Amino acid sequence: MIGIEALTGILLVCIIAAFALGAPVGLALGGIAMGIGYITWGDALFNVIPTTLESTHFSFILLAIPLYIYMGQLLTRSGIGDAMFNASQMLIGRIRGSLAISVIVVCSMIGAMVGIIGAGIMTSGSIALRPMLERGYDKRLALGVIMAGGGLGILIPPSIPMIMFASSTQNSVGRMFIGALVPALITIVLLIAYVVISCKLNPKRAPLDAVPDVLPTAKEKLLTARDGLLSLLLIVAVLGSIIMGIATPTESGAIGVVGAIVLAILFKRFKPRMVQKAGMQAALLVSVALWIIVGASVFSNFHLLMGVQNMVAGFTQDLGLPPIVIIMLFQLIMLLLGFIIDEFIIVLICAPIFTPIAVALGYDPIWFGILMILNIEIAVQTPPYGFALFYLKGIAPPDVTMLDIYKSILPFVLLKLCVLITVMMFPELVTWLPDLLMD
Amino acid sequence: MIMTAIRRYCLGVHTVVAFVGNSVSYLMPVLACVVAFEVFSRYILDEPTIWAYDVSLFLFGYIAALGGAYAQQQRAHINVDILYNKVSARTKGIFNLFSFALAMFFVVIICKMSIGKFEEALEFNYRRQSEWAPQTHHYWLMITVACVLLILQLSSDWINSFHQAITGKPLLLAPSQESQETQEGNP
Amino acid sequence: HAAEHNWRFANLYNRGTAFGEVYQNLADNINTMSNGRINVQMLYAGEGVGQTGILGSVKTGLIAMGAPFQSMHAGELPAGVVEVGLPGGTDDVGELSTLFHEKGWAPILKEAYGSQGLVWLDPYVQPPVYVITKDPITSVEDFKGLKIRAPGAYGKFLRNLGASPVSLSWSEIYTSLSTGVIDGSIGSNIIDHRDGNHVEVAKYMYPLPLAGAQVLPIVVNRNAWKKLSPDLQAIVEGATAIHAQEQMTKSILWESEALADMQAKGLKWSPEPSDADKVAWKEAGMGLLDEYAASDKYSKQLIDVLRKEQQ
Ligand code: NA
Ligand code: NA
Repeated sequence: MIGIEALTGILLVCIIAAFALGAPVGLALGGIAMGIGYITWGDALFNVIPTTLESTHFSFILLAIPLYIYMGQLLTRSGIGDAMFNASQMLIGRIRGSLAISVIVVCSMIGAMVGIIGAGIMTSGSIALRPMLERGYDKRLALGVIMAGGGLGILIPPSIPMIMFASSTQNSVGRMFIGALVPALITIVLLIAYVVISCKLNPKRAPLDAVPDVLPTAKEKLLTARDGLLSLLLIVAVLGSIIMGIATPTESGAIGVVGAIVLAILFKRFKPRMVQKAGMQAALLVSVALWIIVGASVFSNFHLLMGVQNMVAGFTQDLGLPPIVIIMLFQLIMLLLGFIIDEFIIVLICAPIFTPIAVALGYDPIWFGILMILNIEIAVQTPPYGFALFYLKGIAPPDVTMLDIYKSILPFVLLKLCVLITVMMFPELVTWLPDLLMD
Repeated sequence: MIMTAIRRYCLGVHTVVAFVGNSVSYLMPVLACVVAFEVFSRYILDEPTIWAYDVSLFLFGYIAALGGAYAQQQRAHINVDILYNKVSARTKGIFNLFSFALAMFFVVIICKMSIGKFEEALEFNYRRQSEWAPQTHHYWLMITVACVLLILQLSSDWINSFHQAITGKPLLLAPSQESQETQEGNP
Repeated sequence: HAAEHNWRFANLYNRGTAFGEVYQNLADNINTMSNGRINVQMLYAGEGVGQTGILGSVKTGLIAMGAPFQSMHAGELPAGVVEVGLPGGTDDVGELSTLFHEKGWAPILKEAYGSQGLVWLDPYVQPPVYVITKDPITSVEDFKGLKIRAPGAYGKFLRNLGASPVSLSWSEIYTSLSTGVIDGSIGSNIIDHRDGNHVEVAKYMYPLPLAGAQVLPIVVNRNAWKKLSPDLQAIVEGATAIHAQEQMTKSILWESEALADMQAKGLKWSPEPSDADKVAWKEAGMGLLDEYAASDKYSKQLIDVLRKEQQ
């Protein structure tokens, strides 16, 4: 029988080959798993498909994806998304990169509504990508901002990976949610700082809006402010529906859809055709996202049935290294796993294997969990296999290539790596706030 | 003669898949309404429904699976186009022959397994494990249909790529030219 | 040397949890007792097979052995829901053992599982199901109008008491309790409530369990089973019996530990129910028998035995 290390190597080679030929990602992942699986296991492996389909399509957590995508499409097609950005730009003033900054702010708010990466990136992407590209923003800056901002969905509470981590290591969810706030704030500040500085250094990346021939009248300004305020109210309403216990994070997407339609009617921009076209585009995106998830899950389920988790467990035995080096080694392993494994599986495999070791070395489990979340945020946007990359490609206009996306991530991955290292060096950044509020 | 038949086959597949893809989009607002109704019913009327949970999940599955063939037609499935964008149209055709065959292999297996599950679900009267407990056989039938559509679309695209690999030109008009309007994200 | 039989064995618990280890011990025991002739590889929660996929995966032979939780398969094998223990059922382990081994449940279940290509091995007992609420429950009346996350049979039971069952995924329970989307939730046992951190957001546990003791089976794929020689079959059965013992002793211990953990975080029991409450509770459970007997022929046979018992 073939060893798991060799099998992992073969799978990686197949992925790279299929990706290089431009094969559809999800279908290729499934095809590779079934092909290699048939050779190493036989056709009994095909039975992994029904259970994988059921656990993907009947996942209430993933249901957030269609609802939030639809909300995003309705917002952008009714022009409400634009109103939101016009108003927030008016607030920030005429500085370079102001649109990118408002995108980061909006992404953070969406991050506070959703608990998974896909919903965050595809909603933010729907609303914010086109306005940035239309105003002549550098493609890479625009893409990178959406990906980095959308990724905040799992760092800003509520966060499904954090709930998974807390339950599989028996830690407090509340403590984790609060512990993530300071690292999230640091990330947001760093992202905004990056936008401001890089636009200062290279003004071409973010052109200033042309000064209109006729300056806007006070009345026009008031209208922009009113429209923008109403649109921001939608976000507040969706957030409010979660905080007030009206809806779960998943269901709040539906509140957003209804709210977007109500706003469109208020703005006199409602047309049945718009609802249908938004539905068309949303259905297409949902299907694209879910076929990737199905293919990738079939792939990872095969890999797990073959015992990849034992390989990870094997790495950690008899290390005999200084504690902080072990923590760093864990981060490295997770970053490497991120090349071919998705975020939930990383938590599933690594949380129970690594956390007890970290705790035995005297580290705080919540701190270690936040490191894991920060790490996953990076893993989902590193090529070749990263859900953030795939989602963003799905939402981007056709002339954005995967190469554009790969190139866009570098500064943002470095920023997130900075956050990871900072938090690793100063555990108080995580532990201080929960200690203050919960003890 | 044969070319005409092949062309007809491809156009026929194109029409059917486009029709199903369009129809599925009407489920989007229905899905949102079902979830919103559950929230309304639970929070305002204090009466959570027994059915909304399963109905919304079924709708989710239908939209996700049935849209697959249309996404293939629109070339909306995500691919890594780094090398792909650099090669000639003919080489692209050759690449596609491989990619679409790999994809078809996977979808054929899904199709075969779903037919099995459909028969099993009928035989043992499988239901969801919820209190409402709706039957699940239709879900497997739907997956089978979605897979057949996707296989048809992939086969049509494979023929098209084969033509392109040999002649350097597509057999039919490229899908992106035919449906520019639906593909771009503009309102 | 290579094993004659390579088995994969899936359970519902996470790697590193106490219960996960008990299943690991069963796997290890089969390895040692068979002198390495059967090699069992353990798969923890989500490692290749979803929670709702365990039974189906054992049926098809994707994995050879599984420890399913029957409520997850209510729509697939309804008799399993009667087997695990309908709400209001007994918590007396001796009584349960008689029910299975002398009154005839075991052969009925062997046939029910057998009809779907599964070999049913002797079951084991896990701790009761409790409901946790944000506000104290002073009488059964208080359940009226409460939104409680409770799937399947437990939902029906609480509906009989006037509550409104809500369907939610497990990972949304915490957030939903904390924001007030729901007023309470059941967990598959006290340990489940502890692991889900529910006590941080809901402090009251109702003293009457929804199911007294839960009976769970170990299932094996029929073809994999038939390939075993009789002595190996006996070894697997023997290891399963040891496992059942370990489940019993350890789960009592862990349940009390989980309870202590939660009490340290502020968990309180709702006040002791009155006799009238206890009767209402029992009746809400009995009201389900007819409905469950109607779901399939094996459920009916099991419930017929139960009824004869009560007369
Ligand atoms: Na979030
Ligand atoms: Na990656």
